[in-house]
Amino acid sequence: MGHVTIFSGAFGSGKTEIALNFALERAGQSKYNKVLLADLDTANPYFVARDARDMLEAKGEKISIIAPVRELAQADVPNLPVEIIGLLRTDNEMVIDLAGDKFGALVLGYISGHIRARENYDMYLVINPFRPFSSSLDEVMELSNLLERAGKIKFTGIISNPNLVEETTADLIKEGHRRVVGFATKLKIPVAYLAVESKHYQELYPEYGSSLKQIKLFLRPDWIRGF
Amino acid sequence: MERVLMKGNEALAEGAILAGCRGFFGYPITPSSEIAEYMARKMPKIGGVFVQAESELAAINMVYGGASTGARVMTASSSPGLSLKQEGISFIAEAELPCLIVNISRGGPGLGGIQPAQSDYFQATRGGGHGDYHTIVLAPSGSQEMMDFAMEAFELADKYRIPVMIMAEGTLGNIMEPIIMREPVSKFIEKPWATTGCKDRKPNIVNTLHLGNEELENRNHQLFNKYQIINENEKRADTFLVEDAELVVVAFGIMSRIVKKAVVEARKQGVKAGLVRPVTLWPFPDEHIRTAAKNARLFLSVEISMGQMIQDIQLALAGSVPVEFYGRIGFTPNPEEILQEILRLAEREGL
Repeated sequence: MGHVTIFSGAFGSGKTEIALNFALERAGQSKYNKVLLADLDTANPYFVARDARDMLEAKGEKISIIAPVRELAQADVPNLPVEIIGLLRTDNEMVIDLAGDKFGALVLGYISGHIRARENYDMYLVINPFRPFSSSLDEVMELSNLLERAGKIKFTGIISNPNLVEETTADLIKEGHRRVVGFATKLKIPVAYLAVESKHYQELYPEYGSSLKQIKLFLRPDWIRGF
Repeated sequence: MERVLMKGNEALAEGAILAGCRGFFGYPITPSSEIAEYMARKMPKIGGVFVQAESELAAINMVYGGASTGARVMTASSSPGLSLKQEGISFIAEAELPCLIVNISRGGPGLGGIQPAQSDYFQATRGGGHGDYHTIVLAPSGSQEMMDFAMEAFELADKYRIPVMIMAEGTLGNIMEPIIMREPVSKFIEKPWATTGCKDRKPNIVNTLHLGNEELENRNHQLFNKYQIINENEKRADTFLVEDAELVVVAFGIMSRIVKKAVVEARKQGVKAGLVRPVTLWPFPDEHIRTAAKNARLFLSVEISMGQMIQDIQLALAGSVPVEFYGRIGFTPNPEEILQEILRLAEREGL
């Protein structure tokens, strides 16, 4: 069975953008015809992976978005794509975007048996320490415990995503990353990588090397920049 | 200065807390639910009260009760929820109680959808419920203003003893932006009218029933004298490149930021465009509109609705300059789309 990679994290941690970037990266390398990107974020239909469906299809990316059918894409209900269990029991490579709250925990509880059966998986906790409810160890621990207990799955890595979107600077990334590393040490979960927007990559590479990964934002509208 | 990355809804909730709000009563609804969620997490930790009411009606009447005691209290909802609250808002307006009412608006009519809209403009600015009344309506344009206006709203509410509404599109409630955390408010206006227990004084009575004919009319005159003062003192708008503008675009909320980009582009292409951004929707900044009309040949109202604010612009201009309309429903149009409309109108008018 192919690999399953789950991205979870608090509301607004950047997990959806990071899952999209990861799926695109895998699409170029996977032995499977298409990498499946499952949008299981049921919390709120604003700025979700399914919004990128048209863009990915238009670019001919080797990604298939698994999300509620188009007619229900904006429906404000706990809405899982019906084929998710079938797909988890099929040989494929899958990336899962999962809400990091009690609703995400509920979804994880529902699918985790099938994920454990596949054995070959990673579950990442995405942290932006500049977000409310993610700025202290207690808050991050509360979140990771909630998901780990619900899913009976341990996080295999933390993804550090310190940013203030357009106002991010290299110094801010460094400061935020230090805090995330502090959380990771206390939680005894390794830091898988530090995600930064492409424009910061060159400057930070000498310090962080291969633990640095550059990402591109797909869901953030261009017009928000420069005010 | 502590900076954090906040959704508009979170920034608004934190702003209310910084303003001393210690009572939140609401019923969650997308795209406003993050406000209730934030309050549910924070209020119990700071000695505040969070109640998920059994309905929107219950929630607004809890605000009515809470505000009567002089406490800073609020509710938040989204369009269909605001419709349900209208009876209570009318009562609160008549009782002259300060409070904050938030509408993170979505498309209607009916259940509509959860996509962003500004089509509750009439409801917000014309009172909304029964009887002759107004609420002050503020329209923030970004996360920082969601926080700042929430704080400002409580000051205005206490100053004028009036419910203040913040209306923001679903997009603004949900988009994240970096903000600077403000200092908590420490000075509050005295409220000698509040029902705080009447030991050693006459009871304060909060009541909206006026059975006598003259009493009823007098009551309405009292309210309207107050509205007149607010009208004179509290109209607010931002203007951008309007001095020599031949085509003045009017837009509020997050829409105004998008239009600003389109105006900058239009200028680059030789069209003398400008922007008026109403900050208060009621009272409507009609003087800013008239000032901007000095060299204007055409106005354009851009709204996420079928055209509501356009009527206030027309009233302000009183026929002196024609007003065009461009609107979408459920979409936040991008600057390019607005630019094309500006260029189309400029070419048609020979600007």
